[in-house]
Amino acid sequence: MKDVAPIRFADVSKTFQKQDGEPFFACRELSFSVVEGEVVAIVGETGCGKSTSFNMLLGLQKPDSGEVRVFGKDPFVQSDSLLGLVGIIFQSDRLLPWRTAIENVAFGLQILNVEEEKRLETARIWLERVGLGGFEDAYPHELSGGMRQRVSIARAFAIGPRLLYADEAFTALDELTAARVRKDLLGLIRETGITTLFITHSVPEAVDIAQRILIFGRPGRVICEIDRDKERENGKSIAAIETMVRDGLQTAREAMIAEGTAEDMTAEDAQKIKAGGES
Amino acid sequence: MVSRSIYMPTRGPTGRVWGKFQEQRPLIIGLVVLAVLWEFSTLFLPPIITPPLKEIAVAMWSIISQYDQLIHLFVTALRVLVAVVVSFVLGAALGIAMGSIDSVREYAKPMLHFIQGIPALSWVIFAVIWFSTVELRIGFILLIVTMPSFALYIDGAVRGINLDLIHLGQAFRTNRMQQYRMIIIPAIIPEVISSWVVNLGTAVRIAMVAELIGSNIGVGFQLLQAQAVFDMAGAIAWTLCLVVLLSLFQATITFLEGRLLGWRPKGEQP
Repeated sequence: MKDVAPIRFADVSKTFQKQDGEPFFACRELSFSVVEGEVVAIVGETGCGKSTSFNMLLGLQKPDSGEVRVFGKDPFVQSDSLLGLVGIIFQSDRLLPWRTAIENVAFGLQILNVEEEKRLETARIWLERVGLGGFEDAYPHELSGGMRQRVSIARAFAIGPRLLYADEAFTALDELTAARVRKDLLGLIRETGITTLFITHSVPEAVDIAQRILIFGRPGRVICEIDRDKERENGKSIAAIETMVRDGLQTAREAMIAEGTAEDMTAEDAQKIKAGGES
Repeated sequence: MVSRSIYMPTRGPTGRVWGKFQEQRPLIIGLVVLAVLWEFSTLFLPPIITPPLKEIAVAMWSIISQYDQLIHLFVTALRVLVAVVVSFVLGAALGIAMGSIDSVREYAKPMLHFIQGIPALSWVIFAVIWFSTVELRIGFILLIVTMPSFALYIDGAVRGINLDLIHLGQAFRTNRMQQYRMIIIPAIIPEVISSWVVNLGTAVRIAMVAELIGSNIGVGFQLLQAQAVFDMAGAIAWTLCLVVLLSLFQATITFLEGRLLGWRPKGEQP
């Protein structure tokens, strides 16, 4: 499994049906891969297939065509073979309200059937690492938004994953809290060297965290990619790289306008697609 | 430093009793007013209509102090508990299946609504014709009346679980058993408790009707006996004992609710 790319999308297409029966392409021939130890960010406008890609990676949705592979396995079909390999941080914290902070962190370890004493010990260590030592017995409703997201970060890392997914992990937080939690998450990613796929709307966030940035267009596909580390070696400043990403987003937008897919989705359409996707 | 005991008085045993009294004050005042009005009415109405409170109290004491009387209350309580537990197990299994599998829900839901539409008294008649054993009749009636309610409550609860939590389990690769044990069952506990509160009350009332017909033991049977000899004090005493029994059931549920749902924010706790 060591030689296999942690993430590989090959010509993946995914269509949803709107309530009026019209198809909506969430992804069309989407191809990209993430290699071991790499930190990759996906940026793009709303409706460009970022979350659909995320759901396909989690095995929650099946592609219509093409291949999605996580460590060489199909996450939709071979879900069990990925047990314990992937840590996930969601947009909302998704903590179980009836579990204390430590029990929430131990959630993934419980799924792996780690014995209680060991899993609570591991959970305690991770709570301390995310700065929540002393809050082991607090219930989610007793914690602030930032603290809850830290618990969910600890939950993702506690299982000792080889791959980390983060889907707009800071969107629900205020800017100040988001900056603090982002800094801590970045520290953990660097410290553990974990392969990471990060989905975000924020250009500074993408440039801050990722070594490589994939810019998505609509329908979901990679319009261009920017290798931040290479650009830094070439003497580009962070601000210049951010400008490159914004230019990339503009290119993606121009491509959408040229193809007539930029303005084709009204808020109502988005709602319909969401409802269709969830059913 | 300011002493905590001056500014933050802790509640002692007396304080707790007073606190409980304050919580129940409207009920206590209401009952006292009712008792006064009742006793007042005994001055004008014959004892067969409104027997004096003392007579009712004596009848109640006789019920709770004599084993051959108390056994009727125990039997009714046991019938209700056994039937509701069996009903809950079946209803929960069906409710979870309905909440999880669309096709089960599609067929089961209309049937459950149909069963619920049949009056309890009709089930009593059917049970008398269908079954020869008294316990089977009562058990069947309680089951058929409460089980659909449990199933529909739990179906609604499973359907109402936040999809994010279900996806969390799937994303962390829970197996089916773990998904139920770690997410679905804890998530539906508030609705399970509500369904118990509703169904216990229903079961006690239906048990009375079932015991009135064909049973020779239980509170329903005793009410029938009291009616046969126009013993109004006895009828009221048995009814009050039943209310106390139901209150004990409800208190047990409230206690369990506090234990199981202690994680909820203060404002949402019972």
